[in-house]
Amino acid sequence: MVVDDHPMWRDAVARDLAEAGYDVVATVANGAQALRVAAAARPDVAVLDLQLPDISGVEVTRALLAANPAIHVLVLSASGEQQDVLDAIKAGATGYILKSAARADFLAAVRRTADGDAVFTPGLAALVLGEFRRLAATQAPGGQADAPQLSERETEILRMVATGLSYKQIATRLVLSHRTVQNHVQNTLGKLQLHNRVELVRYAIEHGLADEPGERPAR
Amino acid sequence: MALVGFVTTADYSRLDWAWAALAAMTVWTVATTFGYAHRRGRTVRLLSLDLLVTAGLLLSTLALQYPSELQRGVMPVTAIWVAGPVLAWAVRYGRAAGAGTALILSGCDFALRHGSAVQALNGAVLLLLAGVIVGHLSRLAAELETQRKHMDQIEAAGRERERLARDIHDSVLQVLAMVQRRGLEAGGEAAELGRLAGQQEAALRALVGMGDGTGSASPGVAGSESASGPGPAAAPGLADLRTLLLTAQSAQVTVSAPAHAVLLYGEVARQLTAAVTAALDNVRQHCGEQARAWVLIEDEPDAVTVTIRDDGPGIPAGRLAEAAAAGRLGVSHSIRGRLSDLGGSARISSVPGEGTAVELRLPRGDMRVRVPLADSPLSA
Repeated sequence: MVVDDHPMWRDAVARDLAEAGYDVVATVANGAQALRVAAAARPDVAVLDLQLPDISGVEVTRALLAANPAIHVLVLSASGEQQDVLDAIKAGATGYILKSAARADFLAAVRRTADGDAVFTPGLAALVLGEFRRLAATQAPGGQADAPQLSERETEILRMVATGLSYKQIATRLVLSHRTVQNHVQNTLGKLQLHNRVELVRYAIEHGLADEPGERPAR
Repeated sequence: MALVGFVTTADYSRLDWAWAALAAMTVWTVATTFGYAHRRGRTVRLLSLDLLVTAGLLLSTLALQYPSELQRGVMPVTAIWVAGPVLAWAVRYGRAAGAGTALILSGCDFALRHGSAVQALNGAVLLLLAGVIVGHLSRLAAELETQRKHMDQIEAAGRERERLARDIHDSVLQVLAMVQRRGLEAGGEAAELGRLAGQQEAALRALVGMGDGTGSASPGVAGSESASGPGPAAAPGLADLRTLLLTAQSAQVTVSAPAHAVLLYGEVARQLTAAVTAALDNVRQHCGEQARAWVLIEDEPDAVTVTIRDDGPGIPAGRLAEAAAAGRLGVSHSIRGRLSDLGGSARISSVPGEGTAVELRLPRGDMRVRVPLADSPLSA
């Protein structure tokens, strides 16, 4: 499924995907439509533009995954790696690619997303690194949810991705298999996404949004 | 105040009327307090009335006190109460009005004492002073208020413009990316156009990364930090390193940074940026115009690290040490020197065939933001 509010992009992306052999079940122009169509058509992969007219791309990501945890979301952004991309990844997106990426790179990214492998750009790796560090630094002492920690290996690999090294190059340098490197990167995302889910639940409970009626927020 | 003057009631020839005058003053004070409380009440009519009433009561002293006492220098029945209209006029219309009112009332005072002006002089000077000073301050306050409103308007307009700009930027970026794509596909002249479009797209993206306030506002709950994209410096004297380094972004250079601001003292940030620029220039020099480079900004609690890696041929082992030993200027001197001036360190590593990596590490002191040059880094 392709979600993008610019008709030219929507059609171009759909065409590229079709030419590459993918089955494009739907092309939609806004978030609400995306959620409706996803419920009906149940696509495996959603190619999602973060800049949508009605709901933010981050919210759509969250909702798509809530409705169908098996879906893989590849988020697209025109303006590069900023807070919204990080939020989308935390909300569960599998990967991210810039809109101005070459066609071949885009198709490779879709392939990886369909397989469930994380698609990283150097910018995204830097965002993720920064997020882990921020969480560690701002963790309240004795806070309920512990900040997720990166292992040394994971930090090293993320730094290498952030300086433009390919998985293959990293694998050679660290004498690891390509798959291992990929797994490490995957794990970092997993930790971040898990932490985000835990935080959301905690927030909901604290603010009395829990299911039990009459539940008082725990202060 | 007037009561004090009443202590020696012997001065008053018509005591009952004097009490009446005092009552009138009290009533008038209350009336004007309410009248002046609202902006709309501060009309010329009320002010003039105030002046007339005060002058009248002042002059009524003629009827109420023994002339001999006046000559002696006893205060008129209104005493200091006469300052009322002076201040009112000064606040409303400024220095000239305050001075004018003061002069009028002083004139009345002089008239009361016909001749012995000396006693009245003191009071007159004080009234004049009060009128002028209060008038001046009032003008100042009014001007500041106007300026502040003006600033607020400008700020609101700026915010609106930024919001619109973001949408437009996104559209422009997408169209440029589209042109790049189609150009590459079509080939020939179109490919050249596409390449140019790609360059502009990279440049605009870098600009957008620098100038924008927030990313697309996520209505989500926990997890979305308030610190969003690069914005203006948090406090005077501090600079966001990302904003400075993003200017280096181009089709060949990718700058990657955390989502929150990386704050350093302005001078430190600029020096660091200069070092990074020197490293990037080096890349272009040694690896050619087409070489790609990646700049990574890392923000740890105890240090800020900037890594510059290129995909050039790399420096053969030993040659770097050789160059340093030979005392050749360039990479070794300029960058290392700058970093050690800032209290940091530079590490250059290279994998032949896979480019060179320059790692600039700047430890922070005990505080989040370092004091430049004044003290050496406290952390190991």
